[in-house]
Amino acid sequence: MGAVHAKAPPSGTIRDSQPTGIKTTSTPVSKKEENDVKLNIDKLPVRVQRIVVDGLTRTKDDIVIKEIKPLLNAKTFDELVHLSYNAKVKMERLGLFKNVVIAIDVSKDHRENGYEVLFEVQEFRRVDGGIHTSITNNDGSLDFQVKMPNILGRGERFSLDYTVGTKRTHGYGAYFKKPLNNNPDIFFGTTAYQFYGEYPWSGYKQTDRGLAFDLTFPTILGSHNIQWEGVWRDLRALTRDTSFSVREQAGHSLKSSLKHTFTIDTRDNLVLPTAGMLWRTSQEYAGLGGNVEFAKQDGMFQWNTSLPLDAIFQMSLAGGLMRTLDPNASVSISDRFFLGGPLTLRGFNLKGCGPHSHDNALGAESYWLAAAHLYSPLPFRPGKGRFGELFKTHFFINAGNLCNLDFNNLGASFQDFATNMRWSYGCGVVLCMGRIARLELNYVVPMRVQKGDKANPGLQFGIGIQFL
Amino acid sequence: MSGVLDFSEASGSSILSVSQKRSEDVILYQQYQVEQITLPDYAQCLAVEAFLRMSGLNFRVEQRTNAADMSPTGKVPFIQVGSQLIAEFEPIVKFASSKGYCLSKDLPDQSVAEMWAYVSMLDNILSNAEHYVAWMVPDVVAEVTKPRYGCAYPWPLNWILPWMKQREVHHLMTIKEWASKSLEEVIGEVRICLRALSEKLDKKTFFLGPKPTELDAVVFGHIYILLTSKLPGSPFNSLVSEFDNLKEFCKRIESTYFF
Repeated sequence: MGAVHAKAPPSGTIRDSQPTGIKTTSTPVSKKEENDVKLNIDKLPVRVQRIVVDGLTRTKDDIVIKEIKPLLNAKTFDELVHLSYNAKVKMERLGLFKNVVIAIDVSKDHRENGYEVLFEVQEFRRVDGGIHTSITNNDGSLDFQVKMPNILGRGERFSLDYTVGTKRTHGYGAYFKKPLNNNPDIFFGTTAYQFYGEYPWSGYKQTDRGLAFDLTFPTILGSHNIQWEGVWRDLRALTRDTSFSVREQAGHSLKSSLKHTFTIDTRDNLVLPTAGMLWRTSQEYAGLGGNVEFAKQDGMFQWNTSLPLDAIFQMSLAGGLMRTLDPNASVSISDRFFLGGPLTLRGFNLKGCGPHSHDNALGAESYWLAAAHLYSPLPFRPGKGRFGELFKTHFFINAGNLCNLDFNNLGASFQDFATNMRWSYGCGVVLCMGRIARLELNYVVPMRVQKGDKANPGLQFGIGIQFL
Repeated sequence: MSGVLDFSEASGSSILSVSQKRSEDVILYQQYQVEQITLPDYAQCLAVEAFLRMSGLNFRVEQRTNAADMSPTGKVPFIQVGSQLIAEFEPIVKFASSKGYCLSKDLPDQSVAEMWAYVSMLDNILSNAEHYVAWMVPDVVAEVTKPRYGCAYPWPLNWILPWMKQREVHHLMTIKEWASKSLEEVIGEVRICLRALSEKLDKKTFFLGPKPTELDAVVFGHIYILLTSKLPGSPFNSLVSEFDNLKEFCKRIESTYFF
């Protein structure tokens, strides 16, 4: 974080300014208190004469000028400091600079109330990169990334990634993002990728080659994202034992879809929130070209609240529904919903709920999932204040259903959908690894299992980011 | 019930296994015949179909656009029997004979070995020629093969996939040293092959004896498409007409087994 230095007039006391992260230095108070002059620095009139931005190389002038122009209208010192700070934050959020240090000084020609502002900016290196690990869905992966921040001078960001995962997944992609209208919350992104993954629970492997364009913008309620994605998928049976229902879907398909996602996220921590809620709904329509046609709705809701004695109560709900638009076609296994596993419905194998064919999970076109959790610190609080705070005991109960709705007989099949559920409960220990991932080790008792499911009673281990 | 048991006791368990076989459906998978299938694949599918009909095995044909992707080896045709999948001519024949459906069981072992050597050589030359004409002659590629191969896919897959397949076939042809041949040379090779076949068939009904064998099925598969395919430049149609007995053979097999 940068600091705002303000040089004060030589005599008099100074009060601390209000905005956080601002330091003001003061000259020592003179011994002769009778001669002290009390000065209210906040309401000092200012007239900004010069603003200097030092350190620009590739950042374009127009975007910087737009951010610092409001400073010229500052009337009081207080306002000037606020506006400078806002400009600094905005420019950092736009991805223009790594670091901004602001210095406010009286103007060199000592005009009445004249002030100068100096922004010392530090731009990002042209090319940067790194290797990091990421965790998704019980699978860890290694990410090699080369990125070019602020590549064209207006906050654009370009990155190239190569990912290798533990479950023989690998892929690479290129991603370009540009903030629009000088607003870091509105941005346009495009990505091109190729990804190979194996899905042993369903007996197939798939190579995806895709291109996507998306636009993100906020509204009063939350953040919207509209995306067009075109993916060429090449599905093959994984082994000779793959069931025929999966094997007969082998081949090439092209999905061209439009997806809208709406998110409200007020949680204070992505991995183990103590307060706040998450609401995410998405609607996807596939069929603008390509040979995959469906309409899909998916939604998730999570609510967290802190209880006395450092306990946390969490409630989550999720559900989805999809329908093929061509009455003669069926939805491909690559698009269907799956349920089961340590991240969704605990007590079952990964994707182990729902219709199966010869041990291969087929997925289905609708699902719902509900869970309630209680987290509390470890008994007797070992390592209190330090390491022990990362562990929590975890009690939960979760239930869900995954099945195909028969649209010709909606009433009855909806009844089944709601009542033929599976549920389980259990307890265990949760370890939060910073904001990166979460580990869970639970003892689960599946209480109700539908025919064809693969239940996994007893100890179950899960690692990931998004747990329901 | 006892009648069946007596019968099976008399002639061994093969009858029982045959009736078991019939209750399990044999399904042959191939691409769509009219719009999609390409020349070399069609020859293979016909050969297998002819074999299955000659051996009396009940089967039905399922046409799927992704038949080649479904196949365990990536090649068509393949058959599904219960939960088993068997692809390509030779493995299918071996599977059928393990179930008691063998066309060449009356032949001495020496002749059977010779027959398979003949089948393999034939298949090689004629199959290579079919691949060459379908994927490496510019007019044929542009007007027939690529549109057919890509017809089941949306844009842009309908040109990306045939282009990829063409590169694959070109690579295969280079390995087999056929890529450098000209169309005349290829037609010459086919003519030599047909002449040898014509001499072997002579005036007989079938190639090896009074009953059809696997060789007859393979020859029929290739000759039929050489005779009937409508390609720009018509490289093959007149070729088969030079050998009357082969033309007659083809018509005979078609009328006996396919109607």
